[in-house]
Amino acid sequence: MLEVLELFDRPAVLHSIYLIGSLILFFIGLYGLLAKRHLLKIFVSIEIMELAVYLILIAIATTPGETAPILSDGLIAFTGMSDPIPQALTLTAIVIGVAVTALGTSMAIQYHRLTGKVSVAEMTELKD
Amino acid sequence: MTLHFTPVWFIAIPLLLAFLAPLWVRWRLLMPVLFSAQVALFALALSWIPAVQIAPILETIVIAPPLGIHLHLDAIALLLVALFSFAGAIVAAFIWLDNGAAHLRERPAFILMLLLIAGSNGMVLTGDIFNLYVFIEIVGVSAYALAAIRRDKTALEAGLKYVIVGSVAAIFILFAIVLLYLQTGQLNIAALAQAFGNMPAQMQLLIGLLMLIGLGIKAELFPFNFWVPDIYRGSDPEITALYSGVLVKAFLFVLFHLTFILLADPSVARNWLMALGAITMIVAELVALRQNDLRRMLAYSSLGQVGLITLALAFASEATTAGALFHMINHTLIKVLLFLLAALMLRQYASLKLTDVHGLSRTMPLAAGLFVLGALAVLGLPPLSGFISKLWILKGFADVQTFWPVALILTAALIEAGYYFRWIRAFYAPTDALPIAKIEGEKALNYAPLLVIAGLLIVLGVAPFLLEDWLQQAAQALLGREVLLNAVLGR
Repeated sequence: MLEVLELFDRPAVLHSIYLIGSLILFFIGLYGLLAKRHLLKIFVSIEIMELAVYLILIAIATTPGETAPILSDGLIAFTGMSDPIPQALTLTAIVIGVAVTALGTSMAIQYHRLTGKVSVAEMTELKD
Repeated sequence: MTLHFTPVWFIAIPLLLAFLAPLWVRWRLLMPVLFSAQVALFALALSWIPAVQIAPILETIVIAPPLGIHLHLDAIALLLVALFSFAGAIVAAFIWLDNGAAHLRERPAFILMLLLIAGSNGMVLTGDIFNLYVFIEIVGVSAYALAAIRRDKTALEAGLKYVIVGSVAAIFILFAIVLLYLQTGQLNIAALAQAFGNMPAQMQLLIGLLMLIGLGIKAELFPFNFWVPDIYRGSDPEITALYSGVLVKAFLFVLFHLTFILLADPSVARNWLMALGAITMIVAELVALRQNDLRRMLAYSSLGQVGLITLALAFASEATTAGALFHMINHTLIKVLLFLLAALMLRQYASLKLTDVHGLSRTMPLAAGLFVLGALAVLGLPPLSGFISKLWILKGFADVQTFWPVALILTAALIEAGYYFRWIRAFYAPTDALPIAKIEGEKALNYAPLLVIAGLLIVLGVAPFLLEDWLQQAAQALLGREVLLNAVLGR
């Protein structure tokens, strides 16, 4: 039993699990994006896809056992630290993602107030 | 402290001016600031030509080595920055002199337009792939908001479609960047280029495909451009001029910059990208034939030209690249002209359907005349500049005995002639109805920025040698992978 658990603790196995999980999440988002017509559901799907990409970056770039790259509490050298760049990138990307989603949902709300429509299938104002 | 000129100014100045917007509102200076900022950036870009001709300017804003923000100003980046500021200045001048479109002269539009220009400049200047993503998103957010800035039904619909499609594209780009980082541990584009060849082939293909989908959506390539006509139809024509003139050009640059620098041998991607460009061009031109709304027609025409530029850039020879860059400049000038004309016509006629603009030349003779000039320049008739750029592209293909693109480009020009003349015929159609009364507020001054563009189209057509050296250098800079790698990595 213990061997099985240790097997799961190996970085390669863990990374594959993370990767498969994130990819499943990505495709759930993609499915929602293509199959759903409700504006808010589309934004939710986009967010799920984005989240999957962040998860891949964070999960693959860190290995179990690494510590945060902060010098404090007697730590004076960077040994066994995880790479801080992916986390900085993810934070930046999350902020951007929030801004885009906020913009999108606020437009969706305004559109709904003006027209009473919530579905992209009903958006036909721009066709000839 | 002495001020010295660095490439970061092209990004910092518009950002700073945008954030100081409350001051400009209080002093009633919004439009003068918007216009003079673009003119200043344009002048700054021109003043740098001699320096960049000697050697590209690299700037690294160091946080702590090896971390830093890297900017790279070479001939092609300078060319595009100058082009963007010029297009921005023309659109700003048009909005400033204009009496209509009050929502474009308020603070939100001011900020968003400056952000759009700052982000586009950043996209062509940055040497760091994550910064590239950030700039893409800055441009994206300001473009989505600008599309919806009129806040009526059509504008909101355009904005919503744009924000959905645009954020999906950004996710694909981010995915590709994440894979690049996980594979190489690098974010600097030059360092990535060096490591790219050592990756497994499948990974290269996957990253390439993700990038192609993301940038293909943003750069409006077939089959990812289904959304474009709707956005162009719903947004204000003044804003659309910026999309067609600035945004698309920035994304095309990014697509080809990454292709040429990441791939040691760009011929791997050549046939695919050329095919994509050719299909984009032909499909868009054919669909444009059937459009009954001026803005949708201009959107498809813009897509056709994007296809042509892609076709010529993907061939990756110096002659076609220089031609394609010249055509980029021409297309920006022409589409800014045509979309601003559409803005004027829209105000007079309220609808731009083919049946509604019959006899337009009697009410707006100058607008109709300028439309004809723009149409002839798109078709590439001498002595307008579109002729020279198409000639360079055709000559570049013919010189190396590749004739199928030549045939396609000429066919596309014929189709273009078909639909542009359909509109011109409508404008000059004799009608029994009396000319519509001129609406209030149309002044001769409105046409001043448009006449500047018209003059430039003729000047560049008669004297293309003014730009020839610069375009050659820009083409060399775009194709010169080794030079760039050596300069950045200091080998």
